[in-house]
Amino acid sequence: MIEWLTRDPLNGLVVTITFFISLILGRYLGQKRTRAGFKRFMIDPRIKLLISFLLIISITLMNHWYFPVVITILCAVIALKLRIFRDYSKKLTFPLVLALFIFALQGFTYGVNKIDLGIISIYTEGIEYGFLIFTRVFASASILILLVVTTSENELLENMRWFRFPGTMIEISSFMARYIKTFSNEGRRLKLAQESRCGFSRDLGFTGRMYNTASLCGALIIRAFARSERVYKAMLSRAWHPQLRYSHILPLNRNDAVLGIILSFGIIGLVVFDRVL
Amino acid sequence: MKSSLLDLGGLNIHISDGILEPQWILFWYAISAIFITLGLRIINKRIASDPSYLPRISLIGAVVFVISVWHIPVPVTGSSSHPVGTPLAAILIGPFATAVVSSIALFFQAFVAHGGLTTIGANTFSMGIMGAFGGYFVYRLLKNFTPLWFSAGMAGFVGSILTYLTTALQLALSLNPGNVVYYWKLYSLGFIPTQLPLAFAEFAFTAYAIKYISGTKQELISAASHGKDNFTGTALLLMIVIASVIALGAYIGYLKGGNMAGTDGVVEAHAAPGVNPNGIGTRLMARFGEPLGFAFVGITGGLVTGYYWNAWRKP
Repeated sequence: MIEWLTRDPLNGLVVTITFFISLILGRYLGQKRTRAGFKRFMIDPRIKLLISFLLIISITLMNHWYFPVVITILCAVIALKLRIFRDYSKKLTFPLVLALFIFALQGFTYGVNKIDLGIISIYTEGIEYGFLIFTRVFASASILILLVVTTSENELLENMRWFRFPGTMIEISSFMARYIKTFSNEGRRLKLAQESRCGFSRDLGFTGRMYNTASLCGALIIRAFARSERVYKAMLSRAWHPQLRYSHILPLNRNDAVLGIILSFGIIGLVVFDRVL
Repeated sequence: MKSSLLDLGGLNIHISDGILEPQWILFWYAISAIFITLGLRIINKRIASDPSYLPRISLIGAVVFVISVWHIPVPVTGSSSHPVGTPLAAILIGPFATAVVSSIALFFQAFVAHGGLTTIGANTFSMGIMGAFGGYFVYRLLKNFTPLWFSAGMAGFVGSILTYLTTALQLALSLNPGNVVYYWKLYSLGFIPTQLPLAFAEFAFTAYAIKYISGTKQELISAASHGKDNFTGTALLLMIVIASVIALGAYIGYLKGGNMAGTDGVVEAHAAPGVNPNGIGTRLMARFGEPLGFAFVGITGGLVTGYYWNAWRKP
């Protein structure tokens, strides 16, 4: 019964040593976290973006469906823990529509081993490949949704300079991020005004409704054009000129960098593991 | 939820993360990057001569993004969907600037889970490059001898069709590389129930919108060459015409039962008769060799000719 102890103590030693070292480390980390206060979502947005990108790429490299499924389950658990599961599941519907379409198409057309189901036939290879694609989309979308619900677009835009994005592109992005919401509200107000004047009556046919929507769109574009003149004047009054370049780039925190490197190696290891299996 | 962007609805054909294979992700990023770089150069030139261009392009970009997520009624199906929007943007701010703006719009759309991060390159190519350039080309071609509303409408129609055909091609290339043409047709057919009626809706939408704008603020439509000189215009026109002729010829050949293998077999039999057909070199060549080789020749030839163009023209 105690043969493992008398003849092969190595496993026991390894388990004991690793358990107690981890116990001490865990207690230390727990105390440190309590002292520092609970800080959720404090990982640098650049690391979050890089890791998400790397993880999505690695998912597309996977040959086995169960790794994406495990990643999806982990993401769902995280979403539940962060109490964003409703938003997470709502957003998942859009990518899954296309994934289901691909799954069906592959199942009905791809492969050589046919399974006759009476009226229709499906292919084993197509079902396997389609399911792999479906799980990849599920996992990738889960990661993307977790990223976007925990990081605002402004946070990411601020850090785009660190990724060496062209200055003009960042300036256009910042303007767009700021005015999308404004124009969205303005469009709603215009539509409401048009509706109150019977612009969207049910009696109108396709052409009538389309004419109304398009005129709203035209009005919004003209407003955007007029507003851009005012914005330009406001920029000039704040000493803006085309050669002005914002050069301050926030340095990356050492702890975040280490975390990023560890996670990157973990992801690469996962891909290697998937390929070896 | 932290994202401040509006929620979208309806079916979209943006490719999500996890669908494309990594080599295709990189390929579409590289192709889109070329157009975005050209677009940024044109935008920077315009900003240097007219600084008010920066807020103008950004605000019009923002409004086109907002419009592209509006629901428009779709004929036949009775449902509603959102327009592509890039042909309209190309008419207003030019196709190169549209490529830049649509790549940014796609980044923002990823925040509402439309499309994805790794597929921004592929989606920019289908929507912001093929949709915008195709639509703009049709608009410029028709506007001199048809009413403005019709040329704009056709731009919307062609832009929408090209966007979904390109998306179908991207899916076929990545998912079924062994039988691209067959799966391209299948994916295209799969999209038809939603995308064809939407293309008609896009026709009406773009036509009415441009008609309204031209009646209210003519200078927005008649804005000069969008920063593109005659050389660029002629080169792009030639590129589209020659590519269309080749594509049409290939399609006719395919309809007549051709396998699109060309004369490869004959050339290979004479040039390398003893080659191992299952060797890694042959397999790599079959997958990447030819397109890469031709791309290398095209890039080198184009760069050298373009570089010395002015020197040759002015002795």
